[in-house]
Amino acid sequence: MSDLDRAIAQLRACRLIPEAQVRELCYKARELLIEEGNVVNVDAPVTICGDIHGQFHDLMELFRVGGDVPDTNYLFMGDFVDRGFYSLESFLLLLCLKVRYPDRITLIRGNHESRQITTVYGFYDECIRKYGSANVWRYCCEVFDYLALGALVLGASSELEPSGPVDTTQSSMPIDDALEIEILNSKGEVTMNSYRSRPQSSSASTDTRAISPPRDISTTPNQAPIRPGAAGTGASGDSGGSLSSRTGAVLCVHGGLSPVIDTVDKIRLIDRKQEVPHEGAMCDLLWSDPDEIDGWGLSPRGAGFLFGGDIVKRFNYRNDLSLVARAHQLVMEGYKEMFDGGIVTVWSAPNYCYRCGNVAAILELGEDTSNGGTVARSNGDYGRSNGLLGPNRPAVRSPGRRYRVFEAAAQDTRGMPAKKPVADYFLVRISIDTYRRRTY
Amino acid sequence: MACTATAPSFQKPNSVTVKGFKISTQKLPILKADPIEGMTKALGIAPPEMIFGDNFVAIEHEQSRWGLAFNAFDALDRVDKTGTSMLKVAYSREWQKSREKTHEGIKEIVKPFDWSYTTDYTGTVKPGSRPFVATTKPIPIELLKRPDPILFYDDVILYEDELADNGITMLSCKIRVMPSRLLLLARFFMRLDNVLFRLRDTRIYVDFDEMEIIREYQSRESEYEAVRQTLATTRDDVPAVMRDPNRLSEILPLVEKRLERVTLKE
Repeated sequence: MSDLDRAIAQLRACRLIPEAQVRELCYKARELLIEEGNVVNVDAPVTICGDIHGQFHDLMELFRVGGDVPDTNYLFMGDFVDRGFYSLESFLLLLCLKVRYPDRITLIRGNHESRQITTVYGFYDECIRKYGSANVWRYCCEVFDYLALGALVLGASSELEPSGPVDTTQSSMPIDDALEIEILNSKGEVTMNSYRSRPQSSSASTDTRAISPPRDISTTPNQAPIRPGAAGTGASGDSGGSLSSRTGAVLCVHGGLSPVIDTVDKIRLIDRKQEVPHEGAMCDLLWSDPDEIDGWGLSPRGAGFLFGGDIVKRFNYRNDLSLVARAHQLVMEGYKEMFDGGIVTVWSAPNYCYRCGNVAAILELGEDTSNGGTVARSNGDYGRSNGLLGPNRPAVRSPGRRYRVFEAAAQDTRGMPAKKPVADYFLVRISIDTYRRRTY
Repeated sequence: MACTATAPSFQKPNSVTVKGFKISTQKLPILKADPIEGMTKALGIAPPEMIFGDNFVAIEHEQSRWGLAFNAFDALDRVDKTGTSMLKVAYSREWQKSREKTHEGIKEIVKPFDWSYTTDYTGTVKPGSRPFVATTKPIPIELLKRPDPILFYDDVILYEDELADNGITMLSCKIRVMPSRLLLLARFFMRLDNVLFRLRDTRIYVDFDEMEIIREYQSRESEYEAVRQTLATTRDDVPAVMRDPNRLSEILPLVEKRLERVTLKE
């Protein structure tokens, strides 16, 4: 067993690793992360996760529900630290997994991965408390500066393989329809699903591609480019697979869009290796929120942007995206789709701050195997063209989305006593010493 | 697309009756998307991120048909919805300056309102209850310092918001019931980092034997920097104190104080 595997085992047991090992880990992580672009390309299948906030035991529950690394390919959209009691254990475990399995886990930066925010919201204090100095906090903050700002999921399937029977009575779904959304509870039982009609093969289905690797972003041989290449890459050439079920890419960022970012390529130009600034594109990507408005708006707080459905629609179209996945905001149901499914908020911290009682969710995107070369398409129209392709791109289809909803880990797995309300006197006008003595 | 999962360890209404006074509390998870939408419409403002809309603390004296309750909706209904008293986060000027040239088109503040959710809520009086009247009679602190047995205790949060990581705002209710009296503290606490502290305390004292209720409201407020400087001269852990409304209540200057009472005796 290597040192790294030992560290992973130790952290999984919620035990910290020595400071010297943290320093080494952070060094290795930085070497790895510096090679990543601002926007990391990730191939489906992938499981997308939202805020964790130091809720270590709930992160373990997430892995139980979603599968372990490296069996499951994960993408975490930031906010690993602060608020919860185990920011160190959570972040260091994720970082160990990143170093150990770099191709199976992607970490992008949240607004809490910052020096300024962590000094106010708990991570700094936790480092001092658990390591006796700010050294580990400093190592971690240096890693934060290297985290990618976003990720682009490519090759997601437009439909899901059904997980199993629905235990509701609404079973009249036509067999021809494609499973678009499925919601599962933590036991893996389907609690809800929705279908969309699959286009008839004779009318809308087209696949003019030659057999080639599905995610090649270069021009396919024997074929003139008919639309931009892999979504968001700015390359030309067809890489999206069969157009009948053509799924645009999914952009994952912690917060949202920015008025200075109209293409994914502009994100790639940011100099990200710095503390999260208070302004500019980098700040917006980590801080902004969608809202039911038209266009852009200023937050009433005096800083931060809000963006409406039209902005998302335009951005997705322009970048050949089918979905923006983001985190950043607490949603009681664990996920929340807005703007006709153009954007989704994923929240992965159940019973947030140990008192909200919310459930959490992770989002699974399946792999589009329909253009995998050796896999024959079921409708048998491979290579046919319907002649409908013109200068107008066909609309991209949203990917099939499987949400796994889960609850907070049971209290007894936390290794800490359940928080009982302490009957205090809350008589604050007497001296503090008296107050403390009287608290019981 | 609501799911049916529920979080563990949340209680049903909890209550105790002492000498004709019924005290009940309820603690449930934060509201789901649909009730939040309903509340947004009814209030006219977006509720805080953590909205415990089903939670409450209620004190009732059935015989006199008198009652006082604390809930999130009524507290939020007293928040300024026009934006006339709107605060700005510490780096707002810096942020907006950097935007001036690039986005002249985006100037409109979306749905302005007091997003700090500051409220002067002192409870919801049950319709038909005998009203409170102004008094000079204070809450008898000495009686509350006595180590009487505590028959019932609860700490109920009504709402909380992280102000988009610019601090905290929170309204919660603590209540302790003893054999012949009770004390309730409804506390609004707000810290806007590098800008402002606010504390709005409503204390309800009920003497069961005298059938008398005293309500005290205190508003305390101070600029952030003033508090920081006060604390800098002490040996205290400054960030810890700045998170602790109990400690801050000793430091923040009093802005307003009101005393009211009501007696249920004929």
